Amino acid sequence: MKKRSRFQFGVLVVANLLGLAAFIWPFLLPAAVGGDEAHGVDAPWIVLGLLVCLGSLLFLELGRGGMGPKTVALIGVLGAAMVALRLPGFVAGFSAMFIVVLLAGNAFGASFGFVLGATGMFASGLFLGGLGPWLPFQMVAVGWVGMGAGLIPRGKSWGLRLGLLAGYGFVVGFLFGAIMNLWSWPYLAGSAAVGWHPELGAIANLRNYATFYMAYSLTWDVFRAFGNVALVLILGRPVLSALDRAALRMYVEIKEPKAA
Amino acid sequence: MTLISVERVTFRYPMTERAALADVDIQIESGGFVLLVGATGSGKSTLLRTMNGLVPHFTGGTFSGSVKVAGRDTLENPPRRLADVVAFVPQDPGSSFVLDRVEDELAYAMENLAVEPSEMRRRVEEILDVLAISELRDRSVRSLSGGERQRVAIAAALTPGARILLLDEPTSQLDPQGAEDVLNALQRLVHDLGFTVILAEHRLDRVAAFADKAIRCADGTAYLGEPAEILSELGAGPPVTRLARMLGWTPPPLTVRAARLLARDVELPEPDLVEQPSGAPRLVADRVTGAYDGHVAVKEVSLTVGGGETVALLGRNGAGKSTLLRILAGLHQPSMGKVSFDGRSPEPGRSVALCPQAAEDILFSDSVRSEVLATLAASRSSKDVSRYLEEVGMGAYAERHPRDLSSGQRLLVAIAAIAATEAPALLLDEPTRGLDPETKEALGACMRTWALEGRVIVFATHDVEMAAELAGRVVMMAHGEVVADGPPHEVLSDSHVFSPQMTRVFGRGWLTPRQVAAALGGS
Amino acid sequence: MHQGAWLLWATCAGLCAITTTNPFYLLVIVAIAWFVHALCSRPGPALRSFRVFLLFGALTIVTRTLLVFLSPPVSASSVVTGLLEGLRLASLLIVFGTFNAVSDPFAILKLAPRRFHEPALATALALSIAPRTIQTAGKVREAQRMRGIHISRLRSLPALAVPVLETGMEEAMVLAESMDARGHGRGPRTRYRPEPWTWTSFGSVALCLVPVIVFFTAIHAGTGGLTVSTYPLRWPQPSLLLLASLPLLCVPVLFDRAERP
Repeated sequence: MKKRSRFQFGVLVVANLLGLAAFIWPFLLPAAVGGDEAHGVDAPWIVLGLLVCLGSLLFLELGRGGMGPKTVALIGVLGAAMVALRLPGFVAGFSAMFIVVLLAGNAFGASFGFVLGATGMFASGLFLGGLGPWLPFQMVAVGWVGMGAGLIPRGKSWGLRLGLLAGYGFVVGFLFGAIMNLWSWPYLAGSAAVGWHPELGAIANLRNYATFYMAYSLTWDVFRAFGNVALVLILGRPVLSALDRAALRMYVEIKEPKAA
Repeated sequence: MTLISVERVTFRYPMTERAALADVDIQIESGGFVLLVGATGSGKSTLLRTMNGLVPHFTGGTFSGSVKVAGRDTLENPPRRLADVVAFVPQDPGSSFVLDRVEDELAYAMENLAVEPSEMRRRVEEILDVLAISELRDRSVRSLSGGERQRVAIAAALTPGARILLLDEPTSQLDPQGAEDVLNALQRLVHDLGFTVILAEHRLDRVAAFADKAIRCADGTAYLGEPAEILSELGAGPPVTRLARMLGWTPPPLTVRAARLLARDVELPEPDLVEQPSGAPRLVADRVTGAYDGHVAVKEVSLTVGGGETVALLGRNGAGKSTLLRILAGLHQPSMGKVSFDGRSPEPGRSVALCPQAAEDILFSDSVRSEVLATLAASRSSKDVSRYLEEVGMGAYAERHPRDLSSGQRLLVAIAAIAATEAPALLLDEPTRGLDPETKEALGACMRTWALEGRVIVFATHDVEMAAELAGRVVMMAHGEVVADGPPHEVLSDSHVFSPQMTRVFGRGWLTPRQVAAALGGS
Repeated sequence: MHQGAWLLWATCAGLCAITTTNPFYLLVIVAIAWFVHALCSRPGPALRSFRVFLLFGALTIVTRTLLVFLSPPVSASSVVTGLLEGLRLASLLIVFGTFNAVSDPFAILKLAPRRFHEPALATALALSIAPRTIQTAGKVREAQRMRGIHISRLRSLPALAVPVLETGMEEAMVLAESMDARGHGRGPRTRYRPEPWTWTSFGSVALCLVPVIVFFTAIHAGTGGLTVSTYPLRWPQPSLLLLASLPLLCVPVLFDRAERP
């Protein structure tokens, strides 16, 4: 059991690194394509394909030998909560959906958090009609939010746990926006001065992206960051204690004493 | 032939001291209808779940002894390895569905067992016919009524070829007609097709008649016996067996028909018809009409309830009971007509409080005391918490976490939390749905106290016996209209579907075993 | 229509859109998407996604144009470039808006390969439990109001969130029990009524591939007026061959309508 989980962790790390590459390709690619316009157009589709394969790999690995009925049912229920919370839409960049990923990821652990984030995002895409080439990016990004939350220690002190989660929620509010805008940046900014220009090299493109991000995304992300903090502080304790109780019931322990 | 053998089973849930099952020995023969009875916490649900391995594989805990189902040991075979011999249907099948379409749901278990596609098609058609649900095949499982859901869940559990069916309280949440449909389907499985059905149930007035054997559970012990003997030991059996116990009839009758034979020699005086006095009119609905989900659910209903009056609202699912309650509580704006309480429009949570269905689900605090405190804090009241808890008989549990209580106890806490608003009118929507007899008793006592205080009580229910026990007046609804309104001995006696067992045995005016026994001078 | 055919339709239309900034091609693609939406949309919550995506598309054009003003000097050329690049992304959005409106989410999940059974199942569950969760939230809200607790205040959010979550957790346990009792996780499984690829679905996808091949050939040949010259500003010149290939994207509509009862 232990051996398998270490192997799983390894796969998780590798797949996530490759996933990251799918996001940051505009900074890595210039040297490879040498500014050829036509290949610049093909590249995002190749990257998208790569991302889909990686997401699949992750799911397969996590689901190998069965996620088991309890995990499937829990992800179903929590994913439904994400769908429901995404319905009212985003208030600027903030969606209450994130609170589910943050708290459940923390209560049930990193790999559960990743699968929940990705599945919930996929389900809400299906439910609300949000299928498109952006969906794999959204799934991976929200999956990461859940995975990160699972790495935050579940110590005995509520103050520390909630403080860390709130801080994480704040940072993630900005990071999520920064990484999600990356996929559309090469198209949205196109040939504009703050756009992606393969011939400029990684540093200059990074600078362009930073300007683009400040102008286009930052204001929205402020709402997300503060919204996350507010919800973690208000809901963290009661919701986490409910989730912790459920987490205890996830594990089955059979003792079979010798019959007298 | 022994089909299920439970041998010296002792089981304790994780982190508990008390054994849920203590040295239980039961042998169940193949074929027949076995009824599992006992109070909440007596271990009947646990015993049922040992028979397909959910206990201990799903619950954890300490287990000793052995359970063999059709020769397979449950410790070596987790539930999924027993799916082809034993089928399980949980209490609320609504949350047990995996897929959206009825037909896909039926095939799900067979897919898991890797049944060949052509064989799957054949079995799906067959089970649709056996349970008479073929017209539901393309429906979404979410759109089904309670009785339909239950039958679809049974079908979905049986498709892998299981010949044993375990059901956890299948009729407790259904209206009389829905319950009838489910029981008829079960009877067909047992009598025509030779299945073995084992069913745990609180509400015995209907199922008792079907039982071939009964298992009595009490404090972790369990034994098998004849239904008549076992039900008569039970304080909370169906009204006919309760009466039999009061009058000393042996063997006690299980059905109205059997009771009628015994009652032939009983001379009863004219029933003493006391009408509940009603105070000045307080809650008044004047020709209200209201829509729900796009269709008219309540049509021009007029209703006047006085202080101290207890009114039972009866009718099938979809008759408009819930919508009427919501209109009375001021939650739902009627499209025509007017509701008033003491001459003013009702203020939800102040003058009129509605306790919704499944109210036990509204608890959110970490102790019973703080749950009631939350209500008091919201209304800035400085009254004493313990009074409200004593009222519902939950005083001893003030410091417990609501999630550690049984669902019946949680309902009582929720009712206390709503009653703490001190609203002079209390409306309850199916408060006894799925309740065990003890909690029902506590709730009944509570409602009597409120009525004596001069509050207005209106409750919607499917439970005819409960209405007969508690109501001073019965209002019958059908298709959104009031079809009868009057004292229970009139309204309930005139109905075929909604008449209590005592009326069926002794005729007009007799409602409860207590009333009959008192008239005969029994104990 | 096989759901996979719709997915491939959207991919083909999207691929065509992303290769060009020529407004003639883009507007034809948008018109085709609208046509498909008008004839093949199915009822359900995803229906409104077409309108939402239309709105998003318009927003994209505005945003892209505004980005031009971030880096002066601003000229007619740079504004037109912004508009056209915005239009390209908007067309992609509208194509996928249509796809969402015409496809059936549960049927799409059935496309998942066998090894993805469990994640697909979890997603299907999330889809079907979501409406009930929304209902539960409404009920809890109303019940708390009866106790004088109004959820509109932030402080009282736990009174809504905890009951909804606890109910969900109870449901999850019932669900898991019922899945296990019905053989979930026993190993290899078979599939009930897999959606078959019909010749019509297959054929319509093959026809949708034609414009993609035409457009990509044009990129590599450098013909067809795919990129509009904005420095200097010139009137876009669409090629008749490319324009003529686009209506092939309407073929799935014919088959879809023919297959409906």
